[in-house]
Amino acid sequence: MWKTILRRILIMIPEIILLSILVFLLAKAMPGDPFTGSINPRSSAAQIQHLKELNGLYDPWYQQYWNWIVHLFHGDLGQSYQYHEAVSNLIGERAINTLWLSAFTMVLTYLIALPLGLYAGKHEGKLPDTVIRVYTYVTYCIPFFVILVIGLWIFGYVLNWFPTTGSVAPTAKGLGMLSSRFFHILLPGLLGALFGTVNIVQYMRSEVIDAKRSDYVRTARSKGVPEKDIYRHHIFRNSLLPIAAFGGYSITGLLNGSIFTETIFSYPGMGMLFIDSINYRDYTVITALVLLFGVMNLLGTLLSDIILGIVDPRIRIE
Amino acid sequence: MNKTKKKWAVSSAAIVIALSLAACGGGNKKSASSNDSGKAKLSAVYKNPDKANKSANEKSTLKVAEPNDSPFKGVSEPTLADNQEDSNVFEPGGSGTLFKTDDNYKIVDGGLADQKLDRKKNTVTITIRKNAKWSDGQPVVARDVEYPYEIIGGPKSTSSQYSSDFERIKGMADFHKGKADTISGFTYPDGEDGKKVVIQYNSLSPSMKFSGNSFVWSTAAPYHYYKGIPIDKLAASDQVRKKPIFVGPYKLDKLVDGESTSWSPNKYYWGKAPKIKHVTINVVSSNSIDKAIQTKKYDFTTPAGVMRGQSYKNLKKLKNYQMVGLPALSYNYFGFNVGEYDTELQKNVMDKNSKMANKSLRQAMMYAIDEDAINKKFGNGIKWRAKTLIPPVFDKYADTSAKGFPYDRKKANKLLDDAGYKKKGKWRTQPNGKPLVIHFGAMQGSATSHATYEDYLQRWHKVGLNVKMAGGKEMEMNSFYDTIQKPKQNKVDIYSAAWSTSSEPTPTQLYGEDAPFNMGHFVSKKNTQLMNDMNSEKAWNDSYRKDKFKEWQEYMNDQAAYVASDNSYQWGPVNKRVKGYDVSPSHTIDFWKDLSLTSAKLK
Repeated sequence: MWKTILRRILIMIPEIILLSILVFLLAKAMPGDPFTGSINPRSSAAQIQHLKELNGLYDPWYQQYWNWIVHLFHGDLGQSYQYHEAVSNLIGERAINTLWLSAFTMVLTYLIALPLGLYAGKHEGKLPDTVIRVYTYVTYCIPFFVILVIGLWIFGYVLNWFPTTGSVAPTAKGLGMLSSRFFHILLPGLLGALFGTVNIVQYMRSEVIDAKRSDYVRTARSKGVPEKDIYRHHIFRNSLLPIAAFGGYSITGLLNGSIFTETIFSYPGMGMLFIDSINYRDYTVITALVLLFGVMNLLGTLLSDIILGIVDPRIRIE
Repeated sequence: MNKTKKKWAVSSAAIVIALSLAACGGGNKKSASSNDSGKAKLSAVYKNPDKANKSANEKSTLKVAEPNDSPFKGVSEPTLADNQEDSNVFEPGGSGTLFKTDDNYKIVDGGLADQKLDRKKNTVTITIRKNAKWSDGQPVVARDVEYPYEIIGGPKSTSSQYSSDFERIKGMADFHKGKADTISGFTYPDGEDGKKVVIQYNSLSPSMKFSGNSFVWSTAAPYHYYKGIPIDKLAASDQVRKKPIFVGPYKLDKLVDGESTSWSPNKYYWGKAPKIKHVTINVVSSNSIDKAIQTKKYDFTTPAGVMRGQSYKNLKKLKNYQMVGLPALSYNYFGFNVGEYDTELQKNVMDKNSKMANKSLRQAMMYAIDEDAINKKFGNGIKWRAKTLIPPVFDKYADTSAKGFPYDRKKANKLLDDAGYKKKGKWRTQPNGKPLVIHFGAMQGSATSHATYEDYLQRWHKVGLNVKMAGGKEMEMNSFYDTIQKPKQNKVDIYSAAWSTSSEPTPTQLYGEDAPFNMGHFVSKKNTQLMNDMNSEKAWNDSYRKDKFKEWQEYMNDQAAYVASDNSYQWGPVNKRVKGYDVSPSHTIDFWKDLSLTSAKLK
């Protein structure tokens, strides 16, 4: 097992290097640069040139890449052109916001989806199953941003139950800050969870249906094990296998952020940072983020393989 | 309404990239010429007849929304911030604004500092008022007036606001190149900690009388607080981003990165203490700003915040809110590509043989389109056809008698016929008989901007001009500027873009011979002469200066190399519990201080 993990980690190194070159070149290939259209007309042409030179934008690409990599190994992701701040600080600030919201949404999603999937599988073909399936399909069919806008409108503006903007109240202090933060992610988190269950419910349901018909369940039943225990010990646990692996992978997505949620709730997170950095050609931020997302994905697949190996000894590679 | 800051923006109808600078100051009490049909008449002042309520002022919070789709960037220092949202959310702190102005943006006494010009000695003397203090209790001193020039002009500065105009200050060029450690043109008669600064210029310009000119920077920076931070690290420092200090009526209590600021009165403020004890400013997505106002979540939107025309339509009849506004310091315009930028000479050069070099062709294209109809349909009453390249907010300088280019297809056809653009089949050809295909460049925007571009194309087609979208469709903003900012390009023959002007309207930086932002490369002796005249020795005489502005506008309309397409209001909704709301330019420096509330809850 350890050998496998080590081997996988070693393979990741060339993958990350390749990814970094691609990311860097693609960012530079976009039309314009951080100063396009954003220079004060009072700047003389010389000043525009001066700023570009200062930032090394006239150097050949391999030199720019090399400088970037060298800084990267020193833990310096560079300075954002747009924010005039160290990229690592910027990402740090946003990552915390995003982590709060996505972790909350994920936990909530599992809490809602697992029992529903189990219940639907147990009552396959009956009314509860139909109701749950209709619920998942309907929520799946409605575009998420529509849900967010309607949710914000009804619960935020009309009923006034939830805050409508930002990640924390402007004046909150101390402990109040923590509760205010939670209060702010409640509505987007709930909407995200209620309308994001389809995958897990469907996985869970079909796993339960499969397990129900398997030999070990039949054996348990014939031995007179109570139905409750069959579901708890035999079916539920086994059905969790793919979900566990899936969960391992989705942990890596926690940092990606949601552009829709962040824009509609004015919630400063990673998704908006990414889109803004592209719009403004904020190279240092783009490359840092894509690299981060890439590494997280590689780690995610590794993590999900490891989880699968731990929970299912049959596929453990020695 | 950021006093000292002047914003130059390049934008399309909807995509607005706010770029930079000093003071997009207020506006004008008088509304622009009122003969445009369907146009709203907004006032810059909301006169609330109710009495202010003392307990509401002390206990309630004034809630302000900053309509924006992205988090603000958090650079509180005006010399380093290059976007409007930063200056909006830090505005109650006063942004270090030095001068008070009248309604024409002319600097008058009575601000944080007074300015005196000495035309004989070519000096500008700035005297800080005696009781001026930063919000940490330290006095505002002479060095604080000089430090912004070091931040902007330092050899390693990351500020995009340096321009060659500053090199009229003695020693500035050497300082900028790193040849000198200080700017020799600055002297302090009472010492660095005194209240007086004398700036030695090579020559003075009449524009120096106005706030937002390109020679005298109009904010102060707390030198004692920034001291020790390298200038290239200043924008990232905690002093600028986390715990800034201010000189205005409010001090910052709390900052939530990218989303909100909250304020309480600055006990060291030099003027009368502000009445409202708590103020918060929150970023609100432009998608939900209408709902937020309709459900009374906010008292008003930041005076310089971007409010869409659609919002005006949705909010104008809202009970308990008054729409307040003034003509914006900005305009959309058409530019024609008639030359190139010579990178060696650093000058624009006009090419008399270029496709769009013929004045009649340019005029005809402008007469052929119907801006009045477009604004009637999509302008929501707050946008109207522009008549000249000087926005009507400068009622002293804008030529109100100019007609601009009202829709006249007959005239367009005649101009083309007379100039030799003969029709061969469906399309007109060039006078030399070669086929004529014109490429129109425009940026992606809203659904209405798409419809607007379609309308232009159809109307040009109707006069026989074969106009196509450059690249086949609207361009993404970066691609658009990347294309037209190239020193020489032939992909775009005519383009639509926008400028926000400074509160001093001299247009040299946009249309001058050596202006890199003269992206259509129009140059003529007369143009250069007229623009020079606007700030010549004679132009110290106001009526001469006014005449030259008028002459320039007439000339530019005649040449039609750049044509303003529309002007609009800078506007916002104000809840009727707010008293003292006044965004006229003369009131800019007192805006936050004079606000009060008439009830504890929003009406």
